[in-house]
Amino acid sequence: MSENQNPQTQTSTATTDTDQPLTTTTGETDERTRDEWTDYEFRGEAKMTVDDLDVYYGDDHALKGVSMEIPERSVTALIGPSGCGKSTYLRCLNRMNDRIKSATIDGSVRFDGQEIYQDGVNLVELRKRVGMVFQSPNPFPKSIRENIAYGPKKHGDLDTGLLARLLNRSDAEERDRLVERCLRDAALWDEVSDRLDDNALGLSGGQQQRLCIARCLSVDPEIILMDEPASALDPIATAKIEDLIEDLAEEYTVVIVTHNMQQAARISDQTAVFLTGGELVEYGDTDQVFEDPHSERVEDYITGKFG
Amino acid sequence: MAGASETDAKLVESETTETDAVAGVAVGLSAVLFALAVTALFERVSLTGSLFGVGTVTLLGGLLTALGVAVIAFGAGSRLGYVETDPDPSAGLVAGFGAAVPWVLIGGSVASQTLGLGTGVGVVAGVAVGAVAFALTVLPREDVGSTLPLGALLVLTGLVFLTGVIDPAWAWELDWEQQAAITAEFLIPAATLFAALYGGWASAKAYGGFGARGRHMGAYVLVYLNALSIVAFLCILVAYVVVQGVPGLLTGVDVGLGTGPETTILGVSVALPVSVPFVMNGVALLNDFQGVLPAIVGTFWLVIGAVLLAVPLGVGAAVFLTEYAERGRFTQVVEVATNGLWSTPSIVFGLFGFAFLIPRFGNGKSLLSGMITLGFMLLPLVVITSREAMLSVPDEYRDASAALGVSKWQTIRSVVLPAALPGVVTGVILGVGRIAGETAPILLTMAGGTFLPGSQTVDVIGGFQFTATPPFVANPALLEATSALPYQLFALITAGVGLGSNVGDPDAFRWATALILLMVVLSFYAIGIATRYYFRRRLKHT
Ligand SMILES: Nc1ncnc2c1ncn2[C@@H]1O[C@H](COP(=O)(O)OP(=O)(O)OP(=O)(O)O)[C@@H](O)[C@H]1O
Ligand SMILES: [Mg+2]
Repeated sequence: MSENQNPQTQTSTATTDTDQPLTTTTGETDERTRDEWTDYEFRGEAKMTVDDLDVYYGDDHALKGVSMEIPERSVTALIGPSGCGKSTYLRCLNRMNDRIKSATIDGSVRFDGQEIYQDGVNLVELRKRVGMVFQSPNPFPKSIRENIAYGPKKHGDLDTGLLARLLNRSDAEERDRLVERCLRDAALWDEVSDRLDDNALGLSGGQQQRLCIARCLSVDPEIILMDEPASALDPIATAKIEDLIEDLAEEYTVVIVTHNMQQAARISDQTAVFLTGGELVEYGDTDQVFEDPHSERVEDYITGKFG
Repeated sequence: MAGASETDAKLVESETTETDAVAGVAVGLSAVLFALAVTALFERVSLTGSLFGVGTVTLLGGLLTALGVAVIAFGAGSRLGYVETDPDPSAGLVAGFGAAVPWVLIGGSVASQTLGLGTGVGVVAGVAVGAVAFALTVLPREDVGSTLPLGALLVLTGLVFLTGVIDPAWAWELDWEQQAAITAEFLIPAATLFAALYGGWASAKAYGGFGARGRHMGAYVLVYLNALSIVAFLCILVAYVVVQGVPGLLTGVDVGLGTGPETTILGVSVALPVSVPFVMNGVALLNDFQGVLPAIVGTFWLVIGAVLLAVPLGVGAAVFLTEYAERGRFTQVVEVATNGLWSTPSIVFGLFGFAFLIPRFGNGKSLLSGMITLGFMLLPLVVITSREAMLSVPDEYRDASAALGVSKWQTIRSVVLPAALPGVVTGVILGVGRIAGETAPILLTMAGGTFLPGSQTVDVIGGFQFTATPPFVANPALLEATSALPYQLFALITAGVGLGSNVGDPDAFRWATALILLMVVLSFYAIGIATRYYFRRRLKHT
């Protein structure tokens, strides 16, 4: 496994490392140092602080020295061309990369000030608090109700088992309230309220994706990581999900990967642009990044000249 | 006739024409012939008798000839432009080889046997005739190539039957062994079967108007007939056993209050209102009717015991191998070992049980030793199928569960195992079918006498006893030797002894035993399939 022992020197920026592998390889000499463009200042607390994060898949260097602070209760969009490491980065934030055998992770990620890449981190607790919605919808082959109640049940927050029913201690009502709240939050309730016991695989792709969002909300996370949640959806379902994300940002911290720049511009408070090779090239206020990017390469990417 | 004047390919087929109808009838005719051949092969239709007032062989011959003429007429009509079709330039190599094979056989046997020219000439003649058939199929346009050689084959076969060259009494003595002979009883249905397949193929092509559509139709008919024949074979097999077995099963059946044996249900002694001695009695001197009850109960407990042993072990091993063990040397070794165990002959398992288990469990053949031996036999299959089933559970489910902060074991229990269950059940079904019919291991580890009196029926449930000393629970019933259906059948057939004058009709007794064995295995199947259906439904649409 790719457990990492060292939270490195806890400097806020990673510039001082001299033995850092060279990340600039092509035609970048005329651009100023990246760190100024990724050093995003915001008011309020940082929910997550990522410091000099490197990810390797075998020998493949997929993420190169990424540092970034993610503010609380806001929407952070990650954009960039395909294969630049957005999903990889996202998976580092709740240590889902640990599940990929070939991955090695180097660097520091702090969640509410606590290092998550250190020994003794309770992954169950971490992933409960940092929820994730995957690129393609992946509901369990169970009923809609069971899909949502699954997480809380397994955490022992809900008990609807046979024994509990026999002892008259079943939390069925509580469960139903939870199911309704999560489905309402995910803007799915009206469509499925009359068939909660149907199998979730019978839902449409967009409904499945919203069900996955609802399922993610069911364990009451603090951060929600979303990997292109709208990539397979039609404009109407996309609009629903976008509204939903904006609502969620009032309570939760949302990090969302998207290929759709208009979407990023519409819903996010700040935007991070990754470019091929796994570098974070620019990170800042969404308006600033889209209207007046510092980096020429980012400008080219955003205006569609490449990528 | 399809009187459309346009020459380019039609998008919409014109409505059914007479030619289509004729070709359709030809396809139907070959299906009928196919069914007749299958039934004749299993002697459900007598060759010497008659059907619809015509001698069976004559009827077959007439139908074959008619089919062959129709096929040829269709090809010729298409070639001469009377019938509108869409043929390719050639029927293709596959059709060529398909047509060559029967002609090689015919040419060879006619030259060497009928004309008595000897083996060498026979081979040459066979190859020559086959080559002609091949050339006639491949070289002309498809409509001729795929009808003429096959149609000729059908006509020839039909004429041979019609003219009585091969009649029901015909037999071809092979000189290899004293008794080997190909009899008309086998040859006529078999030849009809293959001729019907060829005829169906050719006329289906004609029905489709040759070309891509024709080939599609041809393949469709072949595949369909094949599937049907599998179902037919299964039905005939079961029907055969049932027909032979029912008389034995029903000897001495009596219905009426108080006729059946006494049973104790919940402490109340009740006499069953029906009496089926064959399944309610054992074998005893004084019985009016003999039965196989001990063997039925033995088989039942044997399967239950083996499944109870193998399923938890096997599923547990599969969970370890797929979910926990790193894929590498070790898992490969385990995989090879399980596959090897599954292919190990059952007599080897039997010997193992005989040499290893029996001395450890009461030093005598016992139900328990039989259960364990068969459990070990079942184990590898359960491991293999459960592993496959778990590997085919998408990783997305595991990721989704992990991302909710659910631990690995809980994920396995609540997501992976339920999704894998139908596959596991399939494995167990297959395995039960095998072990329920095993004879050799039972012979070595479990079987007591061949013919047990009813009083020796094992009573596993009632056999549990509580003792004051560890292990506190004992079950002497498990340590008794008993019988099982396949073993009993084997003993009845090989030995045939022991029945003496007790059983009036030993043959009926055997078939009835076989029928009961089949019914026991099929009911385990039914249970398995119902379980699998239940779990599948839970996974798919509730
Ligand atoms: N499990 C893995 N094993 C090996 N290499 C991987 C794995 N996952 C991703 N990579 C590699 O890491 C790089 C970044 O992949 P990643 O999935 O993070 O890209 P992405 O930005 O999410 O792309 P997309 O927009 O197409 O989803 C790619 O070069 C990819 O080939
Ligand atoms: Mg991705």
